[in-house]
Amino acid sequence: MTASRSFPREIDALEQVFGFTAEALPDTAVPPALRRSVDFVLEEYFTNIVKYGGGKGAIAIDIDLSRAGVEVVLTEPDAHFFDVTQVPPIDTTLPIAQRQPGGLGLHLARRLVDTLRYDYARDERRGRITFTIGFSPATADQKEQASDVGH
Amino acid sequence: MLAIELGADGRVVMSGRLDASQAATAQGFMDKLNGQVVLDCKGLDYLSSAGLGVLLKTQKRLTAAGGQMRLVGVSRHLRDIFTYSGFDQIFDIELAP
Repeated sequence: MTASRSFPREIDALEQVFGFTAEALPDTAVPPALRRSVDFVLEEYFTNIVKYGGGKGAIAIDIDLSRAGVEVVLTEPDAHFFDVTQVPPIDTTLPIAQRQPGGLGLHLARRLVDTLRYDYARDERRGRITFTIGFSPATADQKEQASDVGH
Repeated sequence: MLAIELGADGRVVMSGRLDASQAATAQGFMDKLNGQVVLDCKGLDYLSSAGLGVLLKTQKRLTAAGGQMRLVGVSRHLRDIFTYSGFDQIFDIELAP
């Protein structure tokens, strides 16, 4: 089951984005923890495009829910090439005086996903980020409970 | 939406979702705090890296002036985020019961 929607390139569109994930991934179908992870990763990539993408077209989001988990695709028109899979990890052990928030979001997003792919169509200047988060054994149990509640 | 207020016991109570669209509002509130601060996260459902940035900036400012911020009522989900980001080394964290 795939749900698709487009959003303006604005940070304030996040509320609409989260409304969309709530519709596409209802509590009766996925555990809240899984949706929070999807929201977190989606927010990081969405805001990264808004802040640094440079283009003007709407950002399309597709969410596919299957028995294995969730696949999310963000499609960015007018995109500059930026391969999110190649972002170097940050040092999370630095003392507070040396810590900077920059890069933290992409670092955490990388940790939360099971798979991450970046595709760039140069002719069309279209960037596409695809990530998946599967049902872990623990969340599979929670999913079952959530389904029971929904019936 | 995010709600942030000063509780009757002096704690800062944050609830809802602290995402990139709410970070400026949260930072504006946190910038007014000084000394020893207790942030009650019991009602905080969601925290993104933008929210982590707010907490980090606040903690840096407070510690530079001899104070600090402690986080209480932290859910398992938030604890994981703090651990992955190394913030468990920067903040004194008390988990929700």
